[in-house]
Amino acid sequence: MPTLTLLYDPSCGLCRRVHGWLAEQPKLVELKMIPIKTDAARRRYPALNHELTSEDLTVISDQGAVYFGPKAWLMVLWALCRYRDWSYRLATPELLPTTRRVVSLISEHRYQISRVAGMSR
Amino acid sequence: MNIEIVTYLLYLAITIGLTIWVAHTLHKNGRIFLVDVFHGNEPLADSVNHLLVVGFYLINLGYVSLALKLGYTISTAKEGIEALSVKVGTVLLVLGAMHFFNLFIFSRMRRRATMRNSPPPVYPDAFTPVQEAA
Repeated sequence: MPTLTLLYDPSCGLCRRVHGWLAEQPKLVELKMIPIKTDAARRRYPALNHELTSEDLTVISDQGAVYFGPKAWLMVLWALCRYRDWSYRLATPELLPTTRRVVSLISEHRYQISRVAGMSR
Repeated sequence: MNIEIVTYLLYLAITIGLTIWVAHTLHKNGRIFLVDVFHGNEPLADSVNHLLVVGFYLINLGYVSLALKLGYTISTAKEGIEALSVKVGTVLLVLGAMHFFNLFIFSRMRRRATMRNSPPPVYPDAFTPVQEAA
């Protein structure tokens, strides 16, 4: 089975919650999670701009294809048995702008959302 | 033989004939779908096809036999034909609904199967070398 590597932000409560949810989902593609800006991440992707990964979710395929932000979230949906059809629906030209806006909004305010929802440490 | 018995017998002949015809159509044309769903595994496709048709027969013949009773007496040929038409009409609608339900199952199975090998929904933003851990 191919693998997608997720570079996620462990300091945000929302991300940790999503991380736990992802672990339980049946998958079509294996998901491997690495916390951002760690030695493991830098060793695996020596040429990647690791400063950028703290801004939004980054997903990288086995072949080194980098998906950033909204595209990364679509790739995560694509990896899940139950949501693969949703990844195509949200990626259609009609819905992609909305998807981008919503995902960017959530990513930008992820610390506030975590705090309000009581998910921060 | 009075008119009621004739109506019942005609009803049974028409509805059972129709059920067999629809089941046959489903069996013949559904096979191609299922072979595709199961990636050319023909024995498995045939088995699932057969099981689906058995379920189809059970539900339809069950409905036909439940709907047999008229509940009122008929004395003329005109009344007989009218009663027959109502009965056959409802059975046709049930058959149609069942048929579309089967088609829905086929298409969903096929979609599930093709989804497994479908490409990513978006193009990557960039490429980066991957250093596999030793």
